[in-house]
Amino acid sequence: MKKFLGIFMTIVLLAGVLSACSGDSKSSGDSKSSKDVDLKIWSFTDELKKPITKFEEKNGVKVELTIVPIADYPTKLKPVLESGVGAPDVFTGEIAFLKQWVDAGYWENLSKDPYNVDEIKDNYVPYVFDLGKDKDGNVRALSWQTTPGGIFYKRSIAKEVLGTDDPTEVGNMLNSMDNVFKVAEKMKEKGYSMFPDEGSIRWFSQGDNPQPWVNDKNELKLTEQKIEFMDYAKKLRENSYTALAAEWSPSWFEAMDKPIKVKENGKEKETEVFSYVLPTWGLHSVLKTNVKESAGDWAVTNGPSPYFWGGTWLGVYEKSENKELAYDFVKMMTQEDEFLTDWAKETGDVLSYLPVTNEIKGDFTDEFLGGQNNYQFFLEQAKEIEPGIVTKYDQQLDTFYGNAVQQYVDGKKSKEEAVKEFYQKAQNAYPDLKVPKK
Amino acid sequence: MKKLDRYGYVFIAPFWIIFLIFSIYPVALTFYYSFTNYSGSGTAEVVGLANYARLLSDSYFVEAFFNTWKIWGINFALQIGLALVLALIFSDMRMKLKGLAFFRSIFYLPNLITISSVALLFGILLDWQHGSLNMILLNIGLISEPINWLNEPATAQLSVSLILTWMWFGHSFIVVMAGVSGISKDYYEAALIDGANRWQTFTKITIPLLKPILLYIMITSLIGGLQLFDLPMLLTDGIGSPDGSLNTMVLYLYNQAFKFNNYGYASAVAYGLFVITLIFSSLVFKGMYGNERKQARKV
Repeated sequence: MKKFLGIFMTIVLLAGVLSACSGDSKSSGDSKSSKDVDLKIWSFTDELKKPITKFEEKNGVKVELTIVPIADYPTKLKPVLESGVGAPDVFTGEIAFLKQWVDAGYWENLSKDPYNVDEIKDNYVPYVFDLGKDKDGNVRALSWQTTPGGIFYKRSIAKEVLGTDDPTEVGNMLNSMDNVFKVAEKMKEKGYSMFPDEGSIRWFSQGDNPQPWVNDKNELKLTEQKIEFMDYAKKLRENSYTALAAEWSPSWFEAMDKPIKVKENGKEKETEVFSYVLPTWGLHSVLKTNVKESAGDWAVTNGPSPYFWGGTWLGVYEKSENKELAYDFVKMMTQEDEFLTDWAKETGDVLSYLPVTNEIKGDFTDEFLGGQNNYQFFLEQAKEIEPGIVTKYDQQLDTFYGNAVQQYVDGKKSKEEAVKEFYQKAQNAYPDLKVPKK
Repeated sequence: MKKLDRYGYVFIAPFWIIFLIFSIYPVALTFYYSFTNYSGSGTAEVVGLANYARLLSDSYFVEAFFNTWKIWGINFALQIGLALVLALIFSDMRMKLKGLAFFRSIFYLPNLITISSVALLFGILLDWQHGSLNMILLNIGLISEPINWLNEPATAQLSVSLILTWMWFGHSFIVVMAGVSGISKDYYEAALIDGANRWQTFTKITIPLLKPILLYIMITSLIGGLQLFDLPMLLTDGIGSPDGSLNTMVLYLYNQAFKFNNYGYASAVAYGLFVITLIFSSLVFKGMYGNERKQARKV
């Protein structure tokens, strides 16, 4: 009896342990069989939710969307892609890690049969299409959007200070860094802040000479224009042209809608921010979601130089067992007239798919921007974009450089020290880079 | 009897299988990777001791080492001090304080909040322009300029130390109290009769008899402290700003592996960290118990 009990207990315990294990692996691993999911998609935002619902209805399939916050996204996705266990069939990539991923071959080669996407190359904004290519020129990922940027400003303030709220005229007043500072001075005289913080102008630091951080020879290049940006940032701080509201901080968001209090040199002042430097997606996912009272009082115009910021690409996982359906989804997101027209009208996203943009750009208006046709504006800006400047190092090097600039602006380091430290950090993170020894 | 032995193996098998797969295998693999230039994808080339050579001359790792010690040290001193003072108050027979259970849960509460919430909370409290802390200090006139807490190396490190203290003193307090309640009341009664004051009772009875407990707290806190990662990661930009002052050893390891894709070097950093933890844990142990053992042998 005792012996029997022993065996029985062992079996019960083992069964418990084993079922716990297998239950685990089922939920995190291959869920296709257990939950009847036809397609698995991973992304870092919830923007795909609606398209997925449409896709499900149209094809009578079940799609599972996994959203991972952007900070953890590459860390979580990479092991899954490497091992192929529990991997998605379709996944999106942000521009920050796009270059690494297209070259790593995680995405299916869309240039070959049966996809042959090169045939529809002319349908896309050129830089968007080119960025999805790997180093051999094969297309690995496509995008539905284009993300050129501009300066979003408040019309009422422009009218009061500059005498006009017309985007073209305001744009002419902001067409060079010198002019930006002239406007900033006028803003300050009336008690307004030109920008929320010094980082706002970083996109214009490339000037008319956009260069990649790292060139073909693996050399780190800090251009004159980028170094000049340090002086511009310092000038913004020293002349109190900003509201000292760091990007993505609570006060940064707060200042979009109402005046905020700023403490400087022992004095407290209340100031309203005139403009935010944001790309296309900044309109519907940043401004519109945070602004209530001043909706309709905004407009968008150009800055000293064209730039772009961010962007989401998507492609089919190379080892997916369901490539046909996976590509159907990619196709819907990037090539389907009907869907994309609805998407653009609903979200205001600026599309990279030209057959649709050409159709709708003529009479596109946005209530939030006081009826301005932002579509035409952004498409013009998109033409100026140079795709060759994106490298796989960008995200980290931008952070390092942003830190160096901050140290200089705060007066903690001289310009030379800040640059030197930037080089050291870059070398430490990427030992293979050729960094100037200074 | 012999037959029964086999059941023992069956019982411990699940643990060993899981332990081998999820603990030993990764540890061994990390050791292998520490001799390669693995970048997270593709193949790894064996580069010999290059990663360890780099580790020994890496000024950023040295900086991370001292940062970790500074942040942990301040936090530990405050945490254990606070826990002892509280334990002293609550265990004092003459004071007969009520509501120990209530205070215990109140003090322990911060430990239950997820670290991301804590980071978010303090990120807002310590905000330069609009944070409550600066508002209060400005209003009562203690400072005339808002302090940019998380933008100055010294205040950033101090902030992390204090947040950690706030989170962990309750835990230490509970462990100390458990140790205190394990001390026989007889000693205290005898001390009371002999006319010892509070300080004498504390230093001559409580502290010596608490030594194993204090050692336990110290070593677990040290190991946890050397692995300090989440708070520095979440409070600023994740790479140790301002000026590298929040760059701790594990944060450095994480960034080398997952941000810069130097998996090989990060593995070497992991083993460096392991050796450091080993050395300091044994030093602490030796420091507290080394003399006693020698004496015991003499007797």
